Amino acid sequence: MNRRELFTGTAGNAACHAITPRGAQRIPNVVMRTHENRVVRFYDDLIKDRQVLINMMYATCEGYCPVITMRLVEIHEALHARMGRDLFMYSITLKPEQDDPAALKEFARMHGALLPGWTFLTGDAYDIDTLRYELFRHDHIKIDADLDAHAGQMRIINDATNRWLHVAPMASKMTVLQHIAWADPPKSFEQRLEENRRLQERIDQEVELYGYRKVI
Amino acid sequence: MSHQQADLGKTPGAAPSDARDGLDRRTVIKSGALVGAAAIITSKKSQVLAAGAPWPAPPVLCGTTTPTSPATRPFIDNLPVPPPALPVLLHPFPTRTANIAAGEAARAAHQRWSEFLPLIHYHMTAAPSLHKHHTDLLPSYLWTFNGHYPAPTPLNYYGVPSIVRFRNALPEQQDNPTFGVSEITVHLHNGHTPSESDGFAADFFGPGLFKDNHYPNVYAGVDEFGGIGDPREALHTLWFHDHRAASTAHNNFLGLNGMFLLYDAKDPSHELPTPGSLRLPCYYGITDIPLILADKRFCPAANGRNEVFQVIGNNPVVGDKWIVNGKIQPKMRVRRRKYRFRILATGPVKAWSLSLIRSDGTQAPVTVVAVDGNFLPSPVVISDRPLDVQVAMRYDVIIDFSAFPAGSKVYLRENAAQNVGVAVPDPAPGLPIGNVLMRFDVVNMDFLFPADTPPIPSVLAEMPDPIVPDGVFQWNFTLENGRFLINGQEFDHNRIDHVVLKGSSEEWVLANDVAAGNWNHPVHIHFEEGFIMSRRRRVSQNPDVFEDVPLLPEELGRRDVYPLPPQHRVVMRMRFRDFSGRYLIHCHNMNHEDDFMMVRWDIVDSLEELTRKRREIDERRMLAGLPPQYKHGGLV
Repeated sequence: MNRRELFTGTAGNAACHAITPRGAQRIPNVVMRTHENRVVRFYDDLIKDRQVLINMMYATCEGYCPVITMRLVEIHEALHARMGRDLFMYSITLKPEQDDPAALKEFARMHGALLPGWTFLTGDAYDIDTLRYELFRHDHIKIDADLDAHAGQMRIINDATNRWLHVAPMASKMTVLQHIAWADPPKSFEQRLEENRRLQERIDQEVELYGYRKVI
Repeated sequence: MSHQQADLGKTPGAAPSDARDGLDRRTVIKSGALVGAAAIITSKKSQVLAAGAPWPAPPVLCGTTTPTSPATRPFIDNLPVPPPALPVLLHPFPTRTANIAAGEAARAAHQRWSEFLPLIHYHMTAAPSLHKHHTDLLPSYLWTFNGHYPAPTPLNYYGVPSIVRFRNALPEQQDNPTFGVSEITVHLHNGHTPSESDGFAADFFGPGLFKDNHYPNVYAGVDEFGGIGDPREALHTLWFHDHRAASTAHNNFLGLNGMFLLYDAKDPSHELPTPGSLRLPCYYGITDIPLILADKRFCPAANGRNEVFQVIGNNPVVGDKWIVNGKIQPKMRVRRRKYRFRILATGPVKAWSLSLIRSDGTQAPVTVVAVDGNFLPSPVVISDRPLDVQVAMRYDVIIDFSAFPAGSKVYLRENAAQNVGVAVPDPAPGLPIGNVLMRFDVVNMDFLFPADTPPIPSVLAEMPDPIVPDGVFQWNFTLENGRFLINGQEFDHNRIDHVVLKGSSEEWVLANDVAAGNWNHPVHIHFEEGFIMSRRRRVSQNPDVFEDVPLLPEELGRRDVYPLPPQHRVVMRMRFRDFSGRYLIHCHNMNHEDDFMMVRWDIVDSLEELTRKRREIDERRMLAGLPPQYKHGGLV
């Protein structure tokens, strides 16, 4: 009995159901081109039912992008066992008119980012603007019109569970990894209890890190 | 196995196969998928509670196009009052250290546990339930505490510590049909609460687990004054809500909040002439009425429901129906006497601008007696301007209905119009129906109703001794590259941005430098109430020239939410006493909060730790290319 059967099976005729991903209603299914010059559909091929990390960059960007890309390489290293299996990274260019697949590949090579599960994407400028708005918008005209405003952010989506999160890529590695974990595939109750038990051990050992005191 | 015997060693999801057939109470309890196995480890009482209503079928949401809510006729429903929370005897009994074996979420041991041993137990189960917002609407699927929206109100007394077991019986995330995240951490806003019970944003726990929040119900200043602290530090109107990092707005929108009242000799739960009592209207639900405000938007009727509109992603949800205590445009019958209304804005984003309107269209006075639950030095009558209530702020106002003839109608007006959907003539001249939040129907007193209270005293509260700060610190609320930042950084629950010493006090400058006309941030500081010392506003675009903004009379008391409009500087002072650990400052616009306009600051016990941690902070800032925060090696 797999997990799904377990849940639907025990739920009787009541509330339980398999959740339907709603990303399709929100994320534009635009045609894009990868750094390997492959043509993909953004939602269908890249997001659907997956846990993904998305950031925006452009190859000639000298402020945030290289630093963030270096940070993402570290994140990739920490999660390499999952990358390309159930976790994917996408870096979308903000300047598609400059960044063709070759330029993106060169950028990736330069930063040591030609790694499994990590795709650099370019496409039509209009489509990318649409994507940028849907993924990162604040519903605020001044911010949303500013390209750089969206270069310093990372969106974490688990489409299978409809979970959207964001994290500042420049937060500590531990924090970024925890945020990614907040969007992890659901855990069973036993897994959760086990994690809870381990967390308690850490709290007891590292009282200070958790900001707690041993006051009675 | 019977559910009483079931323990955590057994597979919680694997109920016996007969659970498929029929849906009796026991089945509901046993089906782990529904309640995340929560009920298996609950007491018998709470099982009954959880099973009291059949589990609602999940909502079918109505797409991403923002709908217009269906029409609702005004003044059909009576104003409901959230029921008082009923104390229970918790089983398993609460423990000082987390009862991991029984499924309690990991936490540090309760501070000062034996000193403030909880005498009152409550059980609050977060679970899906159906709620009807209006007679003309079908029920909506919400997440509620104990099946009520807003949640039942714990009525507590200073000096009587309590414990609230928050149990997560929300759907497992893979079965979660809403945009909320079924992990919770509950904050009591703004209790003088030890850190491990304060609902820190990253301390959330998933379905099936529970967490005991220990509320000592003491005034701040226990170490200084002994006993239960300094009675001048009392605050009486509190509220509790989910504080889950990155999902606070959605989880609150779905209904995970409620009020929490604290009484003492000055503000007892009655109106009798007892020593020290202010004798304000104080019978909960009779003369002392919470007004819990929210805005929601509803989908067209489908599948027997009018679901609340939800979008995927982080977009703000802006309602087009104003909700008071869970109802749209309710009416309330009031006697010709004084009433106390405890107004609370639950957000996620909407700020309210309220005024009381007579049926001839003129504004009637209301008397503000408390802000954020703290009595003002003296009452403030508001009769020529609206009362601005921003997210998470509480205003206790007294309305004297004896000023109105029996049979008259009085309206509570909100400055922004809602969508009513039916053509109704203006109830009062210059008052369109869309602006009416609710209606009061004035009737004569009858002998069964409590007699009117004496006039409101001209002095309500003595302020605590003035704070002489041990240090000065500035918090800058900015918007850079599309991110809401405090002191240049987003919230990181593992990073400490400021450290203070237990028993000390500081002056903090809250600065909002975004361009004029931009966001106003209602800044909330956890732990203790503070004072606004001054408010300044930048003159034109000159970065260094500020002018003083006179404080409004209702800003003269203590508070925990500091409205911070663009180009403003608020100078406030607060103390850090009795407990230590990690606390938060954040913008209480919950969308900003979820975008991590929030910081963690810690209270430490020793000077050695203070110096060391401040040095660590400055070292870390140097590595990040930021200027140091502290002088003199961390000592201020």
